Amino acid sequence: MQHTLEIKDLHAAVETKEGRKEILKGVNLTVHSGETHAIMGPNGSGKSTLAYTLAGHPKYEVESGQALLDGEDLLKMKPDERAKAGLFLAMQYPVEVPGVSMTNFLRTAKTEVDGKAPAIRSWVKDLQGSMKKLRMDPKFAQRSVNEGFSGGEKKRAEVLQLELLKPKFAILDETDSGLDVDALRIVSEGVNRAKEDNDFGILMVTHYTRILRYIKPDIVHVFADGRFIKTGGPELADELEETGYDQYLPEGSDSESALA
Amino acid sequence: MPVFDPADPYKVPAFMPSSADKEPRSFSPDAFAIPTRKIDDWRYTPVERISEFFDVFTPSNRTKVSASFIDGSPLSDGVRFRALDKTQAPVGTVLKPSDRAAAVQWVSTEKAYAVEVTADQPSPILINVEGAGLDLDAVQIAITVAADVHADIVVEHSGVARLAEGIELSTGAHSEVSFTSTQEWAKGSKHVGSHRLHVGEGAHLRHSVVTLGGDVVRLRMDQDFGGPEGNLNMLGIYFVDPGQHMEHRTMVVHNYPECKSRVVYKGALDGKDAHSTWVGNALIQPSAPGTDSYELNRNLVLTPGAIADSEPNLEIENGNIVGAGHASSVGRFDDEELFYLQSRGIPEIEARKLVVRGFFGELVDQIGIAEISDHLMGVIDRRLARGESDEMKLVLEEN
Repeated sequence: MQHTLEIKDLHAAVETKEGRKEILKGVNLTVHSGETHAIMGPNGSGKSTLAYTLAGHPKYEVESGQALLDGEDLLKMKPDERAKAGLFLAMQYPVEVPGVSMTNFLRTAKTEVDGKAPAIRSWVKDLQGSMKKLRMDPKFAQRSVNEGFSGGEKKRAEVLQLELLKPKFAILDETDSGLDVDALRIVSEGVNRAKEDNDFGILMVTHYTRILRYIKPDIVHVFADGRFIKTGGPELADELEETGYDQYLPEGSDSESALA
Repeated sequence: MPVFDPADPYKVPAFMPSSADKEPRSFSPDAFAIPTRKIDDWRYTPVERISEFFDVFTPSNRTKVSASFIDGSPLSDGVRFRALDKTQAPVGTVLKPSDRAAAVQWVSTEKAYAVEVTADQPSPILINVEGAGLDLDAVQIAITVAADVHADIVVEHSGVARLAEGIELSTGAHSEVSFTSTQEWAKGSKHVGSHRLHVGEGAHLRHSVVTLGGDVVRLRMDQDFGGPEGNLNMLGIYFVDPGQHMEHRTMVVHNYPECKSRVVYKGALDGKDAHSTWVGNALIQPSAPGTDSYELNRNLVLTPGAIADSEPNLEIENGNIVGAGHASSVGRFDDEELFYLQSRGIPEIEARKLVVRGFFGELVDQIGIAEISDHLMGVIDRRLARGESDEMKLVLEEN
């Protein structure tokens, strides 16, 4: 089934010690099922804020605009309702939840997202199968959520959730950060596998082009100063690889955006 | 000036006798002043709410004390339960009262009981203490476990009561004992208690306290070792509702070499004027080289308006030790944890429940008695439950 995520003129702000600061300044974007959008931009441009605002993090306050998933405004929902509506955010820094085992957490999340408890036998099979493909030690299932996981293990656990929860749209926030080449490949393969199975749309937030070698974008956007300023095909990523983000930075800002 | 030699701690006396050493220990209430907030031991206690326990009283003697195995079957060979006079051993043989309430309880008590375990016990022994109303009562229970014996002992407190209680527990050399005291008093109840513990040479004692109900519950634990290489593991769990005061004071004394102690108390506080107090004292005497001690208290404030007092005290009179650590914290729900769980479709109330289960989970497992652990998690879940779906109940119960 075809789904659409439509972000319309989204403005969002955060409270800081210096007062209220607007970070998203009119974001417009439409993503369909099966499409992979790369959202690229310099540090501090608001890419991650966009990801967390869509997922409903309480730190970010929506000032105006809409984010319609098949016509329903996500921004009016609580974070758990957004997940149930079909949104998934793979976080850059997955949070540790001491004392809550991965199995308990995953099964609780699956039950909530589906509205019913998964059948035990197929659930255990799915969980073990996905973990195996992500080369995760089965012991991880018994450990507390993300506790004591290395950076790479945390990202694998995020992709594991993506595979099991089967969202309509997945936001990957800097999923490539902190991964070595092998881990990046395993994680990327997991994302590609999940997408083949479930045909979700992807919003891939990244600073570097490295991950785009593994997860091929259909559309590449440049995000700077709180909004999309340029959209193109995969060739735009190649261009950014050559030139960096300098041309997209506001006048007078430091040039520290060279691509790795 | 003589120089202190950690290898020979008796050569030179400790320069500064500890404040804990100087505290009175006596069966006579007159040895202690009437508690006020100005006295250090009582500074966190709402003394005005338990003042009836500060002067000798006539007990109702209606509190029911009985014993069986935890499945309800009668006790068999190797364990004996009886009522006896408080002048008869083993009653009154483990340490002495350490505060006025404990001395008053001792003098007021007319009913005493003994549980004597002389052989390994395959299933936990249950001592049931059932309150019989709000008339003041006092009881003394003495438990002994013989050398080399393995036993699990549970004391359950339930019903309505205003009870002063003394529990003595003496474990023999090289015994392995798990002792658990649960307090699930009904509304209006008050419980002032003292546990006096003696850990045998080379013995292992796990002492667990679970306090889930009662308007005011104040428990003080005093302990010593009977020889080297004793191991004391004290665990505590409390869940404080609005208006309740739950106080636990653990006084660990290292008086022999090479002993180990761990104290881990965790509590959740829910609502206005929920008040918990944990005071953990650890005293390492000059006679205890090779001591390994650690104490920790964590408090999770679930809703605004609760107060958790947490005070670890260490007095170290011997420099030749393995360790003497402490940690203490009072925190509220971590917003990032809650957001992470919510972003996976888990509603806030369920996310809170998961976090609280996680907070207590490891400790509950350590109590090691399935009947207690399952019951305890059930109680905690019900406290946190607010209109959850049947599907979710199923999943939480299965996990």
